[in-house]
Amino acid sequence: MYSIVSTAIVSGIRSIPVSVEADVSDGMPVFEMVGFLSPEVREAKERVRTALRNCGIMLPAKRITVNFTPADIRKSGSSFDLPVAAAVLAALGLVPKEGLTGCLFAGEVGLSGDVKTVPGILPMVADAKERGMRCCIVPAGNRSEAALAEGIRICGVDSIDGMIRLLRGDPWQEKEAPFNIEATGENTPDFAEIGGQKLVRRACETAVSGMHNLLLIGPPGAGKTMIAKRIPSILPPLEKEEQMELARIYSVSGLLMRSAAGRTASGLLPAARPFRAPHHTISVQGLAGGGARPKPGEISLAHKGVLFLDELPEFQKKTLEILRQPLEEKCVRLVRLSGSCEYPADFMLVAAMNPCKCGWYPDMQRCTCSQASVRRYLERVSKPLLDRIDISVEAQRIPFEELAKGERGEASGEIRRRVTAAHQMQRERYRGEAFSYNSQIPAARIREFCALTREQETYMEQIYQRLELSARAYHKILKVARTLADMDQEKRIEKRHLSEAVCYRGLDQKYWERP
Amino acid sequence: MKEAYWLANVRGISARKKRRLVETAGSARDVYSLTERQIRRLAILTAAEQDALIAGKACDADRGYAALGAQGITFVSIGDEDYPDRLTALPDAPFGLYVKGRLPDPERKQVAVVGARMCSEYGRAAATELGRTLAGLGVNIISGMARGIDAAGHEGALAGGGYTCAVLGCGADVCYPASNRRLYGEILETGGVISEYPPGTGPLPGYFPQRNRIIAGLSDVVIVVEARERSGSLITADCALEQGKEIYAVPGRIYDPLSAGCNNLIRQGAGIIAGAEDFKKELGLCGQTMVQESFVNLLLEKNDRLVYSCVDFRPKNMEKLLDETGLMLPELAEILERLTQNGFITETFKNCYIRKI
Repeated sequence: MYSIVSTAIVSGIRSIPVSVEADVSDGMPVFEMVGFLSPEVREAKERVRTALRNCGIMLPAKRITVNFTPADIRKSGSSFDLPVAAAVLAALGLVPKEGLTGCLFAGEVGLSGDVKTVPGILPMVADAKERGMRCCIVPAGNRSEAALAEGIRICGVDSIDGMIRLLRGDPWQEKEAPFNIEATGENTPDFAEIGGQKLVRRACETAVSGMHNLLLIGPPGAGKTMIAKRIPSILPPLEKEEQMELARIYSVSGLLMRSAAGRTASGLLPAARPFRAPHHTISVQGLAGGGARPKPGEISLAHKGVLFLDELPEFQKKTLEILRQPLEEKCVRLVRLSGSCEYPADFMLVAAMNPCKCGWYPDMQRCTCSQASVRRYLERVSKPLLDRIDISVEAQRIPFEELAKGERGEASGEIRRRVTAAHQMQRERYRGEAFSYNSQIPAARIREFCALTREQETYMEQIYQRLELSARAYHKILKVARTLADMDQEKRIEKRHLSEAVCYRGLDQKYWERP
Repeated sequence: MKEAYWLANVRGISARKKRRLVETAGSARDVYSLTERQIRRLAILTAAEQDALIAGKACDADRGYAALGAQGITFVSIGDEDYPDRLTALPDAPFGLYVKGRLPDPERKQVAVVGARMCSEYGRAAATELGRTLAGLGVNIISGMARGIDAAGHEGALAGGGYTCAVLGCGADVCYPASNRRLYGEILETGGVISEYPPGTGPLPGYFPQRNRIIAGLSDVVIVVEARERSGSLITADCALEQGKEIYAVPGRIYDPLSAGCNNLIRQGAGIIAGAEDFKKELGLCGQTMVQESFVNLLLEKNDRLVYSCVDFRPKNMEKLLDETGLMLPELAEILERLTQNGFITETFKNCYIRKI
């Protein structure tokens, strides 16, 4: 007897359809599985055999062959147990074969016959819907996650028994109520909680308005982290499509499943934009994604949100270097022996650093660092990375009198309204272009979008000479000035925009190279 | 001359002993022509020093001496006509000096400007202004070409169009710190670089306190601009004190660690520098008055005046200026840029401003 069952394997945030065929015939009693399998898939054999026996189903003394197609893709992951069990049951005639067509199976099986959660269910289910399948049978713990893909029937099963009953058409009811994933990520911190810090607040608003990357420089305790945490709250809310893409990434990372310990909801999908702040000891793989079967890294988990790197100079140099390509291309392509995959990584980079080891430079009365040590510290961050940061701003420690005043700043909602208006302006201007924000204007087209009057050009020339700017730094100033003009809803860049943009330029070597 | 160069390069004998040796023998040439037996009978040298002198005789000084000329370095030894008289008086005067460029004109007043390497903007401004004002009046500025105050003193002197000379703790042909290469070149154009160490000698920590005695020795007045409580600049002040030179200190605020050393000096009786103009009078040089603040105010418009009045002589950052002026950032940025371009204020660090002196 022959049967075929559909399942899928996750690649990046998409899935590739895979069929599991089973055949039961006379011959030596063996259970054989073929089709380019990785060790964990090959082990499915033992798990399924034992699980079936513990559900009261003894495999007959026949030759059972299971094949995975297409045979040229390496099958890995633990989600093949359930489809193998279903295929074998159908081949043995224990469940009707008709129930299997148009149905996707995925899940891990324990020896007792219980069905365990697996990562990456959402891409499988969402793609199955696009391929026109009618139903998905997934572990009960993955049910809520799968339900994010609307418009396809989702059945969550918690044991092999449950699956058999479901396939036989027995009256069947979902045991657990789905938990609400979107409920998490509420009460994001608000900018209103920050008093003072006018310069930094303004810089944050500017950065978000033009989607510029941001560098905060300041002594410890100036509130750099506090401010960075609030940046997602002034980004425009996630659109449905963006949220779905984000959900796929989180699903592949296994962050959407109900926890194995059976605790209630551990859904981590943020309703708001993500804020990821990896510790500076993070490895290259942790940041960019990786492993034998590449998993998304922090840059992908920060997709459509903010990646915050605190203590930037403390990060390993090679870890920071890998940020360069994703910052340009908005995605990261990981190539491994098992194949290549691509994860989206469209994030806003917010970095924070001290100006020197002790943190007080350039306040010479308090700074105890030598000139050489200041230089060493500041030069630890690679120049190419700094080149990709348009706005850099100094945070100052707030004096006690101001703290005591307990002044509240403007609320995030207000700022967000202005940001949305600035984004709208850019969307209209860049309609039909390959980019959508000021930070992404290619160098060749800066003159076109950031046109200056004759008078403004002379003004900028003076600044250019005085500050000994590089061409790149000059372009960055123009792009930021464009954003400032958009925030004012101005069609043309004004002088005030230029002089403000100059304040956001990067820290230049000449300040710590003085005799 | 060549014999003096040879003697200066003999190791194991102190400068003080070499000086006595020359006085005893008559001249360096006479020292050179001493036979081994004669040397053995010299009572002023210990046995080890006698060995060193005999071993030194085997060395060939010709090549090194010829190389000096090629490098543009002149060698003067104690007793020479060119050797600075101010140094001759020192008990531990260097036996020989390597000079690149010119030696200071002994007829003029010599002022040393020394201080911390990691200095504040206040110290940097004070050193530059002192250097510029004094050099403009024909005073020679002497310092050590270290980062910070020393370099600012030299820069000021160069800007004032005067003579300045750097006394180094390494060979006169070695630029230390290397980042001061531009300054080194500029000093050589009109001034001089002096060292008691032969060309090619690298900077060693022990050499710097030694060279401080030469800085103090060459000067009539030593000004300490900024110094922490235990600063190397205080060594220069101590040397000057021993040599009976005048010491002045630029006072600072009592809470500023960078001024602790200076304030200490003042308590011990050092003179106070209350502005470059004031100091000019103290030195007996005539002066002119500073630009009055009210005059500056006349030149500026209302908001510019507001911003200018908030900018201080200590660096103030943008955040603070935003708070104090109550202006919005775009406007403030524009005014600051205008004030900078018109030369009223300077940006000392990104978004930190001070008044221009």
